[in-house]
Amino acid sequence: MSLFSPPHPMRHLLCALTVGIVCQQACAAEPQGMLETLHRHKFLSSTITDNGDENPYAVVVVPHDMGALEQNDVLVDNFNNISNLQGTGTSIVRYRPGTGNTRLFAQLPQHLAQCPGGVGLTTAMAILNSGWVIVGSAPSTDGTTATKGDGCLLVFDANGKLIETWADKNINDPWGNISWQEQGNQATLFISMAGFGLPGPDVLDPTTRLPVIKHQATVLRLNLDIPNGKPPVITHETVIGDHYAQRADRDNFLFGPTGTALGKDDTLYVTDGLENAIYAIDHASTRSAAQGTGRLLTENGLLAWPLAMLMTPQQHLIVLNGKNGQAVEVDAASGKQIYAHWLNTDQAQSPPGNGDLFGAALTPDGTGLYYVEDDINALAIGAAK
Amino acid sequence: MMAPASNGQSSDKGLFDFLDGVNRSSALLGNMWGLRSWLSRYGVVLAIEETDESLGNVTGGTKTGSVADGLTQILLQMDTQRAMGHYGGLFNLSLLNLHGNNISTSNLLSLQTASGIGGDPGTRLWEMWYDQKFLEEDRLDVKLGQISVDQEFMVSNNALYFINTSSGWPMLPSTDLPGGGPAYPLSALGLRFSARPVNGTQILAGVFNGSPTQRQNGDPQQLDPHGDSFPWGGGVLAIMEAQFSYPALGSMVEPGQNADLGWTYRIGAWYDSRSFADQRWDTQGLSLDNPASNGQAMQHQGDYAVYAVADRLFWRNANNPNQTLAWFARIMGTPLADRNLIDASANAGFVLHSPFIYRAPDTFGVSVDYAHVSPDAAALNADGNLYGAAQPVRSSETVYEMTYQYQLRPWIQLQPDVQYVINPGAGVTDPYLTGARIANEWVIGLRTNISF
Repeated sequence: MSLFSPPHPMRHLLCALTVGIVCQQACAAEPQGMLETLHRHKFLSSTITDNGDENPYAVVVVPHDMGALEQNDVLVDNFNNISNLQGTGTSIVRYRPGTGNTRLFAQLPQHLAQCPGGVGLTTAMAILNSGWVIVGSAPSTDGTTATKGDGCLLVFDANGKLIETWADKNINDPWGNISWQEQGNQATLFISMAGFGLPGPDVLDPTTRLPVIKHQATVLRLNLDIPNGKPPVITHETVIGDHYAQRADRDNFLFGPTGTALGKDDTLYVTDGLENAIYAIDHASTRSAAQGTGRLLTENGLLAWPLAMLMTPQQHLIVLNGKNGQAVEVDAASGKQIYAHWLNTDQAQSPPGNGDLFGAALTPDGTGLYYVEDDINALAIGAAK
Repeated sequence: MMAPASNGQSSDKGLFDFLDGVNRSSALLGNMWGLRSWLSRYGVVLAIEETDESLGNVTGGTKTGSVADGLTQILLQMDTQRAMGHYGGLFNLSLLNLHGNNISTSNLLSLQTASGIGGDPGTRLWEMWYDQKFLEEDRLDVKLGQISVDQEFMVSNNALYFINTSSGWPMLPSTDLPGGGPAYPLSALGLRFSARPVNGTQILAGVFNGSPTQRQNGDPQQLDPHGDSFPWGGGVLAIMEAQFSYPALGSMVEPGQNADLGWTYRIGAWYDSRSFADQRWDTQGLSLDNPASNGQAMQHQGDYAVYAVADRLFWRNANNPNQTLAWFARIMGTPLADRNLIDASANAGFVLHSPFIYRAPDTFGVSVDYAHVSPDAAALNADGNLYGAAQPVRSSETVYEMTYQYQLRPWIQLQPDVQYVINPGAGVTDPYLTGARIANEWVIGLRTNISF
């Protein structure tokens, strides 16, 4: 495109007509994936809490009634406090689709002795059938990684009461969305850890004049036992992926592996924002050692700082871009990028939607997406109808 | 296992608690000693913003020198869903305090005033409205109350980075509408509809009181010094605007597709039903500059103009997605030369985001602003010369501007700015140099924005 090509509304009109003609021939075909079927986009609720926390990150859907939660409720946590300091959000809200009401589900103090560095809730969140909600903390006191702590994993009951705090040498800023699977009284969680060796955002690489890039981020597998009526217990911890790129950032806290999704064939997919890529770790639930970053599934193309990721029933990956408002659909088997879909078009950002998307989850029927919009601190839905 | 935590905020460290996060907080005072979180319980957001600037003309004008001015804005917004469980409602209240002096009236005498925040010193109510969303996917939205039209209509998002006033509310309505129109720091009672029939298309339509003040003889800011007179019945200002944008929500992008980065085009028109004074003729059909004139300008019913605005992002650094380049253009015109001082105005420019490495929040821009004096208004000057006035005939004024918005911290931005004004006042006489136009002006300045 010429830099100075004039706007030409007629050209777009012609394009629309052309698409219409092509569509008559092709649209009857089966959809290639899920994103093209999302025709309805709706703001659902503000995610700001009574204490003013903002910057919503994680999204999970409640599988069945449990405690204060009802089936299909949506939980969203906040990474920032009312001053918009990253790594200081302490609250989780519950959105109830049936009524449209949003209520506080859980709130923590800023500082917990058992959670090194305090509380700053991240995209890492899981809700188990047994009623336990597990949430990651990547805390800071000044909104940057200069004051970051190692953080922890926090275990809540279904009434939003904090029950357990897990912190150890393998846990350092649990960051990306959690993938998990459950079988009876056992569960397996996959969580990316983005904090190992991460300096503050003003420690610059003299060559790039950007914060130094480290390759110490990991993906940790946690095997849990969940005795009846009792909180889960970690039985094994295994680092199954490592050497992911990570760096601090003044405006975005950190870049690191942010999305995970588990395939039916036991492959774990991991987004790497800095490398602008998705990697695949084979035999994720059984391997006993790290496979490095895993094999490269796809990179660049439509990806633009891939963040949270989920797996559709069709075994397609849907990954949310950090650098524009698009979700990208990828065939997990072949790595083929199918297309992208504009979920956030806020032109106050440049490019549109830059920095607005983060966490997402499938709707209970698997045909739509819940996603957060950080520009307006909201939960939204993209649905077929 | 640990003891369950209690609900609560971060520990209160006292008066200087806010300093903990002062490097990255979006507001200097953070939680404002608990006030913001208390308001948040009721769905209320409080924003306090201070803008201060010093602008000086090093050449030209009626005299050289620098002038300082400032603006304090207080904004309260209540989300009714959070406050009372009512979906889609937003109540907005904003107050202004303008302080300092105005270089454009003291030194420059330019039409397109150097600063968009300039005005008469004082404290005033600005906007007070309620906005309600309707229909599935919020496809209709209605706003009612005391509204400043420049916040939604005729807006170029990229132009808003610039300091010159014409980058915000355009020169044509600013000069031609009664009281300059219901735009900063004024507003008017009105009703505004916004409909989104399909994604990517927005239709705005509004009806407002025909003037932001009841009376028209004098400085409109002085006629309603606190913004609380809520004038009504002074005719009608009707505006309609269609907006077309890409990307549209839900639009698809294929791999390898050379998709546009983003654009918005707006077309619109306004009509004001009030009476408008002729620029040249009196009620006897004599030139207003004719010594025999009765000084009573001929009156015309109604006024209108049409406009178009384009904002387009056209380049993004493949290695740094934050670094983008956009252009913008806005043009407005009216064929009614008899009742308008300005019959055409235009703005255009480029905006570069993240101009330097690791400076994502910064913005650099260059722009040009243009205002054209209507033939009838110019003819009045020529008439005056026939009767011995020896004055320049006004024609047009052009302002070039270059600006850099530097984010020192998220709560403070510094903005050095340079403007060059060609033919200030479209060629008005320098009051200190008989018969001579005001010389072209170099204006330099520094603006500071602080969010409290």
